[in-house]
Amino acid sequence: MKIPFSWLKAYVPLTATPAALADDLVRLGHEVESVELPRAAVKGVLVGLITSKIAHPDADKLSLLKIDIGSAEPLAIVCGAANMGEGDKVPVATIGTSLPGGITIKKGAIRGETSCGMCCSEVELGLANESAGLLILPLDAPVGMEVGEYLALEEALFDLSITPNRGDCMSARGIARDLAADAALSFTDVGGKELLLDASIGAPQVVVSEHECPLYMARKIDGITVADSPQWMQSGLILAGMRPVNGVVDVLNYVMLTMGQPMHAFDANSLNGDIAVRSAVAEESFSALDGRVLKLHAGDLVVSDDHGVIALAGIMGSEATAVTDATTTIVLESAFFKPSRISETRRTYAMVSEASMRFERGVDPAMVSIAMQQATALLIELFGGVAGEVTVRGDADSINSGGRVVCSIARIESRLGVEIPVALDDTLVRMGFGIQRAGDSLAVTVPSFRHDVSIAEDLSEEYARIVGFDAIPSLLPPLATSAPAKPDSAIHDAVAGGFLQAVTYAFISAEEQRLFVADDGLDIILENPISDAMSVMRRSVWPGLLNAAKRNLNRQQPGVALVEQGRAYQRTATGHDESSVLAWLMTGEVVSDQWHSSARSADFFDLKGAVETWLSLRGLTGRFIADDTIQGLQPGQSAKILVGRAEAGRIGRIDVDIAASFDIDTPLFVAEINLDLLSDGKQAKFVPLQEFPAVERDLVFLFDKSNAAEAILNAVRSAGGKLLADARIFDLYQGKGVAAGKVSLGVRFSLQNAKRTLTQADSDAASTAIIAAMEKRFGAVLR
Amino acid sequence: MSEIESLKGQLDSLQTAALVAFAQAEDLSALQQLRVHYLGKKGALTEVLKGVGKLPPAERPVIGQYVNQTKAALTQALELSEAELAVKGKALRIEAERLDITLSGRKQAVGALHPVQQGLDEITAIFAQMGFAVAEGPEIEDEFHNFDALNIPPEHPARAMHDTFFLKDLHSDSGEPMLLRTHTSPVQIRTMKRFLAEHGEPPLAVVAPGRVYRCDYDVTHSPMFHQVEVFKVDRDVSMAHLKGVLQHFLSTYFEKEVGIRLRPHYFPFTEPSAEVDISCVFCAAKGCRICKGSGWIEVLGSGMIHPNVLRSVGIDGDEFSGFAFGLGVERLVMLKKGIPDLRLFFENDVRFLRRMGVSK
Ligand SMILES: [Zn+2]
Repeated sequence: MKIPFSWLKAYVPLTATPAALADDLVRLGHEVESVELPRAAVKGVLVGLITSKIAHPDADKLSLLKIDIGSAEPLAIVCGAANMGEGDKVPVATIGTSLPGGITIKKGAIRGETSCGMCCSEVELGLANESAGLLILPLDAPVGMEVGEYLALEEALFDLSITPNRGDCMSARGIARDLAADAALSFTDVGGKELLLDASIGAPQVVVSEHECPLYMARKIDGITVADSPQWMQSGLILAGMRPVNGVVDVLNYVMLTMGQPMHAFDANSLNGDIAVRSAVAEESFSALDGRVLKLHAGDLVVSDDHGVIALAGIMGSEATAVTDATTTIVLESAFFKPSRISETRRTYAMVSEASMRFERGVDPAMVSIAMQQATALLIELFGGVAGEVTVRGDADSINSGGRVVCSIARIESRLGVEIPVALDDTLVRMGFGIQRAGDSLAVTVPSFRHDVSIAEDLSEEYARIVGFDAIPSLLPPLATSAPAKPDSAIHDAVAGGFLQAVTYAFISAEEQRLFVADDGLDIILENPISDAMSVMRRSVWPGLLNAAKRNLNRQQPGVALVEQGRAYQRTATGHDESSVLAWLMTGEVVSDQWHSSARSADFFDLKGAVETWLSLRGLTGRFIADDTIQGLQPGQSAKILVGRAEAGRIGRIDVDIAASFDIDTPLFVAEINLDLLSDGKQAKFVPLQEFPAVERDLVFLFDKSNAAEAILNAVRSAGGKLLADARIFDLYQGKGVAAGKVSLGVRFSLQNAKRTLTQADSDAASTAIIAAMEKRFGAVLR
Repeated sequence: MSEIESLKGQLDSLQTAALVAFAQAEDLSALQQLRVHYLGKKGALTEVLKGVGKLPPAERPVIGQYVNQTKAALTQALELSEAELAVKGKALRIEAERLDITLSGRKQAVGALHPVQQGLDEITAIFAQMGFAVAEGPEIEDEFHNFDALNIPPEHPARAMHDTFFLKDLHSDSGEPMLLRTHTSPVQIRTMKRFLAEHGEPPLAVVAPGRVYRCDYDVTHSPMFHQVEVFKVDRDVSMAHLKGVLQHFLSTYFEKEVGIRLRPHYFPFTEPSAEVDISCVFCAAKGCRICKGSGWIEVLGSGMIHPNVLRSVGIDGDEFSGFAFGLGVERLVMLKKGIPDLRLFFENDVRFLRRMGVSK
């Protein structure tokens, strides 16, 4: 909300500078978005009289001017405009002046002729976006006067952000009242002229059948001639951010901006029969002033005549009943509509107006009638006409009346952490509160325009903003010593393995969801998504990671290794579930070409190793069970991950067609683990370190390719007996010298005993047993 | 010439030749060959000794002593040469093994936490050290916890300002529509309810980090972002405590003494409410582009928990009071690390993640 300084000064004799006033406004809780200084912006621009004008000797379109600005010598100025002549008065920017557009005037020469200033148009003064030439000032403009003062440019324009609880401050009058009370200055209401009424002009017939319109006033004004509103009003409206429309509309907007009460005017001749304030019937049609045609919902609060809806109450009038230049008779409306009702309708039709913003926050019931008087007086003064009696339905005193808070002073002081001396009460009294202190007891009556104050805490805020939050001391509360919960280290452990943590949106597209999850009706879908690409709550983190990988590969990254911790969401039989998941993605180079190594691309075992390491850091082990049925993964390179008894995750290579749809042609590996399914891992316990050396043996066998390494090693372990400490595949070879369908596997095992050094006989016995087991179980042949 | 003189002469010339040969030996293996040649069982010295048998017995000890002297001289010279060659050999080896140490080292794969995660960790840790317990809550919420219990009734203007994402055909047990939480404040409600069920009454102090969602997407708004909710309820908790905790937290987080300014504001769930500014960390509060010349930067919203909120979980607002505030993690991280654009957090450009992953 933009308020010109002069509008505030009309109510309060403010002497503070705009900057100091802005600080006061902030302290009082009215956020100042910006302060513009239109007058200071043209300081140094003076009224000048053109005493002579001759053509520039070297340029057709330039003139040489001599201009009197009240100094001893006239200024010589070279000017490119054409609309001025000797005897005209124009704005002259003198040397050193900075203009709103950013230029600073310097003494210069234009085509050999000295120029000691610049004659200005409206554009250069920041008063308009275009102009036909210089701004020609009236002949009575005093030579040498600051143009900003002569044009009465606004000293300051405050852009305020009024909080939703302060409907009473949605006007110059409301803000002025707060400032006056705070600074103990006098507050004078504007207007209050006696009106001559003509009883022969009938008062409008109004029927209010809605209790959510507790006060409705209407008056007819006859015989007005609609013309443009005066310049001072138009420039004020423009400063305040509103577009001048016609005289009547401008006056009502001006009254709203200064007094806070939104009003509406109907063209009386376009009305048919009585005015009714009622609930809309379902499907009732309404052609709004902004050109929209709405099908109304049952229960919308509307104003209607015999033919239909003429206004969506408190929000917008109809096109057909709007005041135009041809209007001669109007019906003025001033009312109080229940804020929640306006808010609801405004949201239903996404129809924000200056009026609805004020009704929603709650207007001052007492202003309904005062604004009606003020608007009538202004209209008649500016556009003639005669006013009739006001029809009044309802009672201002019934709204927000009797607000009273009784509480303990000690309680307020304990909540604020600062004392509230009696002296502060005076400020609240000036703000309209009635205050009685008796010992520790505080009894406060609340003015009708402060519907936001109803409990002790509301009063504590009033005291806080008067005393100022700066006056409240800064204290550390007594600190509890609670045992802090162990922080979840899932993501920390995961990035330790060389992965970069990604954070992707929790919503993805429906198509992306279907890549890895069948359509089983368990998706959670957004009612009002930002876009289709962000419309479904993810059930897998993989699509988000795929998009991140795509973006990075497009940006010439040779390899990507990402990990994300987040939630996955889905419906369940009883409602919905959010589970915490950890997901990995790996593609492209894991090792790049270097003087010491050649490039290598990520493969399944890079990622499997990362997952295994992550599990081991948490004292867990996973079993990887080959699974060709995981949606979106390539059969033969995919597995489910069992941790304990839980099927806690999946791992594998992304199907090449899916990868291609993300413009990725390198093998792409992903894994995902549901953290909620993991049990607490084993705590590390001390185990005595082995004193006696281990003996190691290598055996190389030919196996059928169909045998799994895991099964082979399990068989080695059981055949190796109690002494077997470790077994692993140390070599894998297929190709020349190995028949098709066969694979040569080197098994390295070690034996160890806690009590003695092992002998040749021990390892021979183990080797014999293992060779026998390999032959028996797998038909493997020792090479 | 007598027999003995002849032998002595042979020994002398052998010694002379050997010493020359030792000195000229190129390496240890050549020296080893010379040792065998001169001192071995079948070596030159042994050959000379064969002539000793022809001497009369009385002269034999004389020549024996002479032979021993020669042998000692040769052995000593040999050891000397060996030592010299060892030093020379090491020097040669060192030269041969000289590296171009300007070649790049073998990089270790180093991961990095996302800057938002770092922010969450840092912020949470500061409050945990102050005795605040860490809590989390669901992201899919019902209207009661996200709005009503926080003193935001359905028609409240603040409700519209929250730009809520609603979820299709999803309802709570009581039939309310479900939504994505618009702030972490519902964790206040859930945590207080749970705490009271277990402990009966306050005090409690909680820090609740998490993801939140708003239907708003432009240069300065992300539809998903992170907040940390902090609140404390006890007897006689005051705004002064709120200021103390904020001052401590903000100075610790920014690693310097920052000025704070509270401005009255309005939030439905706190009364009084205050927006909190810090003195601009970019210009030492002198005024710059980032603080729009004011010297202050808005960082969070705060206040004393509204008695209606306490009542909604069954806490008596006459007996207990509390403060609460919610802060935007992305905003604090942007201010601390000088990150200019919110969108960088969600693009996951690995160059950004790597750079911001460097601690300090
Ligand atoms: Zn700054």
